[in-house]
Amino acid sequence: MKKILAMALTGAMAVSAFSATAFAEGNPVDLNVTTTFAGEDGNAQNFKDAVAAWEEETGNTVNDASATSDETFKTRVVTDFETGADPDVLFFFNGADANPFIEAGKVVSIDEIREVYPDYASNMDDNRIAGSLVDGKKYAVPVNGFWEGLFVNSEVLEAAGVEVPGTDYTVDQFKADCEKIKAAGYTPIAAALGNIPHYWWEFAIFNHTGPEKHLTVPESVDDEIGQAWVSGMEDIKELYEAGYFPENTLSATDDETFAMFMDGKAAFLIDGSWKVGGIVGACQSDPEDASTLDQEKLDKFTVSYVPGTDARKATDLIGGLSMGYYISRAAWEDPDRQAAAVDFVSYMTSDEMVAKFAQHTASALKVTPEVDENEFNSLQIKAMAMVAESTSITGAVQDIFNGECRVPTFDGMPKIVTGEVSAADAVAEGLALYAEQ
Amino acid sequence: MGANIYKNKKPLFFFLIPAFAFMIVFLWYPFFMNVLNSFQKIAGMGQAAKGWNEPWYLNYQTLLTDKTIWTSLKNTLIMTLVTIVFQVGIAVILAVMVDNISHGAKFFRTVYFFPIVISATALGLMFNLIFLYDKGMINQLLEMLGKETLTDWKDTGHALFTMMLPVVWQYVGFYFVILVTGLNNISQELYEVAAIDGATRWQRVRYITLPLLRNVICTCVVLAVTGALKVFDLPWVMFPKGMPLDKTFLTGTYMYYQTMETRNVDYGATIAVFIVVLGVVMSKTVNRIFREKEY
Repeated sequence: MKKILAMALTGAMAVSAFSATAFAEGNPVDLNVTTTFAGEDGNAQNFKDAVAAWEEETGNTVNDASATSDETFKTRVVTDFETGADPDVLFFFNGADANPFIEAGKVVSIDEIREVYPDYASNMDDNRIAGSLVDGKKYAVPVNGFWEGLFVNSEVLEAAGVEVPGTDYTVDQFKADCEKIKAAGYTPIAAALGNIPHYWWEFAIFNHTGPEKHLTVPESVDDEIGQAWVSGMEDIKELYEAGYFPENTLSATDDETFAMFMDGKAAFLIDGSWKVGGIVGACQSDPEDASTLDQEKLDKFTVSYVPGTDARKATDLIGGLSMGYYISRAAWEDPDRQAAAVDFVSYMTSDEMVAKFAQHTASALKVTPEVDENEFNSLQIKAMAMVAESTSITGAVQDIFNGECRVPTFDGMPKIVTGEVSAADAVAEGLALYAEQ
Repeated sequence: MGANIYKNKKPLFFFLIPAFAFMIVFLWYPFFMNVLNSFQKIAGMGQAAKGWNEPWYLNYQTLLTDKTIWTSLKNTLIMTLVTIVFQVGIAVILAVMVDNISHGAKFFRTVYFFPIVISATALGLMFNLIFLYDKGMINQLLEMLGKETLTDWKDTGHALFTMMLPVVWQYVGFYFVILVTGLNNISQELYEVAAIDGATRWQRVRYITLPLLRNVICTCVVLAVTGALKVFDLPWVMFPKGMPLDKTFLTGTYMYYQTMETRNVDYGATIAVFIVVLGVVMSKTVNRIFREKEY
């Protein structure tokens, strides 16, 4: 009797377990996704649309925790992993920012995923996917690349009698142009050195290191690269002292100086490819509605090359594929969410989707998609033309030189340009912190 | 049984345990962990410590030589002083004036209290627009009055004023309401007697209102001092990262900056310990100076 009862109970358990599995397989999944496709990002709307389409197609739900990419966002992501609130899918940087959660084994490598899903990211050229700085393994499937360039308000340039910079633009020409623009009553450079000095920091150093040595972090302030960094900081100081930045550059926010640029009060703005979306949005009466675009206003803006030096040609750009989709270990080890996460990333990195997101930037696709220029606005087309004439694309050294070590030269930029701290001391302090890290 | 149930105090402990446990878990444990963290190497929020600092008191040594922490302390003390003088001072004047009017007192109570219910972040954004360099409200008004150049209300010369004005403005209503409640407790008979004796309105305020309001004012000052030590959100929204040139850091904003922005978590923990010590010292001092009197 007992045997029969035991068999009956075992049978019941097996049936219930099977039913539970069957239920789970058909059950929609809630996927926690964190990306930087938010705020002013040019792909924020594309991402929303793609998520909605994927949800409709699969019946799954995406809990979207995307936010604008800044230091607070980066801290939040790292903290989420540390505190066990891991996202299932994460679109994030593949440089030093990702080191903490890769070191902790919180994300799954592309190779490990391919052992179960051989077609995962098979449309990507693996050689163009960046390896982790921790172990060299590839974790993040890229979508759209980035570039950094010199945005120009051509109306201001015209009023000051200055030509739009070309491929052979030099720092000396730039300074002469700034002088003319200043004399005409405009602010030459829109930049908030007390808030976002990142772009000037990168190019000022790049102008002294050149493409070959740019990604080398100096061992000391006295070595060749260290001296290049010091010279870069001193160049920014020289521009500040010449009065080429806004009068309130040390107390303004990036939004304020961008508004100056958009309002025709400043001529030049160094920023990334994502700013194309920001400029287009600012030319629309409703930033959410592309049909409200003021084409005439948008036509006043163009994008060109950051002035170069002997070490770096103007057409040598900063850019690359610095971000990608990660799948967390937590999602990977959950049978339901594993399949959904893989499907979501595959959907978001399909040829069709990458073409939509990459637009005027680079991608890692094996087969470059056909570009129909009719789908792009005038600034995007100008951006594509600018990138097409580039002679090299180098990654940003600030993605490697990351964390507390950047503070003396990033947050400390106002002290450098005002002479409160010497460029050499600030660089040396940053390098010492980097060595400690 | 009867009255014996009131003599048995043991059940009281049972009811005190949940709140006690809550305080242990959410206050004392984090506090002691914070002290511990201040001696360790922690490279990011939420990350495990990578061992002890060498020497273990390294952060406290840094604290003594860090110019910015002393700027933060100076600003916090200025903020405390400004809070006492202007927040409580203006609140006293407003409360006495409102107490002396026969109509519309409720209206003014609501109007003055209203800023308290608005989030400090929203107020920060609003004051950012008011003090904006280009197209800001104040600069536009000055332009209309004939001023030809724009004033940078956030430069090193104006930053502290620009930061403290909204903080003072927001909390005046809080002390105003406390003081009005105190004024309501003063017997009208005293004023009537004084009036019969020929006291002027000012004399009634000077010799009746202010002395009888002393304890309430003392409470407000203690609250203002402890509140000033905790001010964070509005200054951070208006002056992130202590801009310009680290001149606007308060102890709270500097701790946040070190912890969240530079990811120097252990040093942030050290500043937090410093803030606690500062808070205890200032609270004790203020309590001693502004001790309530028994009448």
